[in-house]
Amino acid sequence: MAPPPASTASAPFASLAAARESLYGVAETVGKMGLIAHQIGVRFARLDFDGEELKRNMYKMGVKSLPIVVVTALFTGAIMVVQAAPIVQRYGAQQLLGWGAGFGTLREIGPLLTALMISGRVGANNTAELGTMTVTEQVDALRALAIDPIAFLVVPRFIAMVATLFLSTLYADALALFGAAYAGQFLLGVEAATFYNGLTSGLLGIGDVANGLVKSVIFGGAMGLSSCHFGLAVTGGAPGVGRAVNATVVTSAACIFVVDYFVSFLLE
Amino acid sequence: MTTDSATGGLAAIVGRRAIVLFSTGRELYSVLVRTLYYVWRGRAEPGATARQMYEIGNRSLFFLTVVMGFIGMILVLQAGLQTQRVLPDLSMLGASYLELLVRDLAASIVALMLATRVGAGIAAEIGSMVVTEQIDALRMCAADPIDYLVKPRFLASIVMTTVLTIWSGGVSILTGMLTAEVVFSVPPRTFWNLSLVHASDLATGLTKCFAYGAAIPVVSAFCGLSTFGGSEGVGSATTRAVVNSSLSVIILNFLISSTAYLLFQ
Amino acid sequence: MIQIQRLSKSFGHPVLHDVTLSIPTGCLYGLIGPGASGKSVLLKMITALMRPDTGSVVVDGQNVQAMTELELASFRLKFGMLFQNNALFDAMTVAENVAFPLHRLFDLDEAEIRRRVEERLAAVSLAGFAERTPVGLSGGQKKRVGVARATVTRAPIIFYDEPAAGLDPVTSQKIFDLLRAEQQRAKTTVIMVSSDIERLLTVTDRVGMMYRGSLVFDGTTDEALTSTDPYVKQFVHGLAEGPL
Repeated sequence: MAPPPASTASAPFASLAAARESLYGVAETVGKMGLIAHQIGVRFARLDFDGEELKRNMYKMGVKSLPIVVVTALFTGAIMVVQAAPIVQRYGAQQLLGWGAGFGTLREIGPLLTALMISGRVGANNTAELGTMTVTEQVDALRALAIDPIAFLVVPRFIAMVATLFLSTLYADALALFGAAYAGQFLLGVEAATFYNGLTSGLLGIGDVANGLVKSVIFGGAMGLSSCHFGLAVTGGAPGVGRAVNATVVTSAACIFVVDYFVSFLLE
Repeated sequence: MTTDSATGGLAAIVGRRAIVLFSTGRELYSVLVRTLYYVWRGRAEPGATARQMYEIGNRSLFFLTVVMGFIGMILVLQAGLQTQRVLPDLSMLGASYLELLVRDLAASIVALMLATRVGAGIAAEIGSMVVTEQIDALRMCAADPIDYLVKPRFLASIVMTTVLTIWSGGVSILTGMLTAEVVFSVPPRTFWNLSLVHASDLATGLTKCFAYGAAIPVVSAFCGLSTFGGSEGVGSATTRAVVNSSLSVIILNFLISSTAYLLFQ
Repeated sequence: MIQIQRLSKSFGHPVLHDVTLSIPTGCLYGLIGPGASGKSVLLKMITALMRPDTGSVVVDGQNVQAMTELELASFRLKFGMLFQNNALFDAMTVAENVAFPLHRLFDLDEAEIRRRVEERLAAVSLAGFAERTPVGLSGGQKKRVGVARATVTRAPIIFYDEPAAGLDPVTSQKIFDLLRAEQQRAKTTVIMVSSDIERLLTVTDRVGMMYRGSLVFDGTTDEALTSTDPYVKQFVHGLAEGPL
């Protein structure tokens, strides 16, 4: 636990110094993640990664996240309806509820919330696993056995995370719209059929779905890079693993939001 | 584990999960009730709450500012693009944005971020204390861990969630305003339109701040207190705290939003 | 006087099995046994930090396990405890650690609390350490802070869980001597768990031995040293050959 500030007079300057440190830290992290991305890319291009590990991680990550994604998606859909309802009613168009809830979900909220929840579960777990392996020198043991840790550990996990996020976003989108349709019916008396029409009325297209899915792949990449980076860079025993897990979750979340903005901007 | 038939097996699994969920819910409720009791009748530990408020604010301020800044830009960008498909006129862009922000988004997004930062911190701290027997030592000295550890964090979180929401809301209004000006040529004067923000929206937003601020420390402390299994258990408790706090925020969001919608029709 | 009747606890596998035991007032009771035999769990049952599946614990005429957490808060005035890993509060200084139970259990003024803390720290030979933090202390120093905290409330019943674990022989002996001197001075009831059989048996009045959750021996120190029970004999004398 950090002690309270010594004097409040120096607090603003202390905050500035802290902010500058944060910026340096951010730059360093981004740089290191870039390095790992390069290492992963090289091995992926050569198809140099462990298939068994890939299958194992896909199963583990997919299954682990299923219940959370389901719950999050259903509630998210319902929330979108509640939020969109006044806006849609203001412009007097019940039929547009499907559109109103739909575009937010498919383009933004679906990929975002799915990524955040999965980052909390899968990303954090991955960092903890890799971190523990690093601290107990298992990674060094792999090197001693002439097994490339990046090809064996990192690339399969990275691919599994991207794939998990992509698939999860896909069914989260579907579930969220499902949840939204029934929330619409229950709360606002808008028939599910009307909702469905609103979705497919032509204002929303496959482009919106694709938009969300492209984002999910990029979020998966960000999550994979940050969790593998922090996991392998752990120092300081068990408390270090805890710190790394914390760092992963925070960095993934920050990356997700920053990347979201730029991708939204670019895809227009 | 017996599996008489395929369906029997599945029902047993679901049933078992439901029982675990129910008893966990009961324990969580007990933690909440005891926290409230100690808020009312516990021992006052001078400076503890203030220290927690500093911890929460210090850890999250920079992070939140950056995230909420980007969110402001993203939301205005997306809203503008979509509205342009339906309506020619973007003059109400700022008004709708402000309404949504005050009523829901500022509180909810801040809370999701805090669930990550603050939730993990609380669970890790309390979890470490469990595995080093410091929690038992507290109980031996007649200091109920709920009174000594959870209560100050509970109060601090409610206050700081509200404060940080207001701050972050301000930041994202500024970045949203900037985006509207640069991308859609909507002047700041037009954007700053409070006509759609009613007292009910403000009340809903504040209720969310209080509810989220209350839920995150209680859920995280509960995960921390139920740590088992040494230092690996602490890591697992931290992960559970982050996920469960985030889920709580989402579920509370739905409950409060629906109630507000039905009430303020 | 502590009376334990038929205490049992299971975490999937049995940890305590039908333990019945009486510890007279003013006795220094040594609890020994191989690892994972249930000694620490038994201590936590007596102080109601853990609840048993069946059985009862009666301390000075009161059933400890039947009390609520609130009632226990005041009943724990009778107990002082040194935990296996010290369990010092990381966020506080040494003085604050030792003073903590005084703040919570009594209504004393600051001067009196400071006086008592200093007296305790001097008694464990840590006179200048009041402002230090636990992080920077050696194992032996942390143990002694733990002893100071356990005894500062002048509780009539003290529990020491592995008071000399991980310490060198000289420091271990000093700790045991200190604890024995404390007990004789304050006429407290002490229950001590230790793996250091030799040293432990030089200070105990009575001994109890646990094996796989059951109490296999309960008697005076002399009886333990001369026992012909194969389990007790092997463990007390540290022999490699035998049923253990």
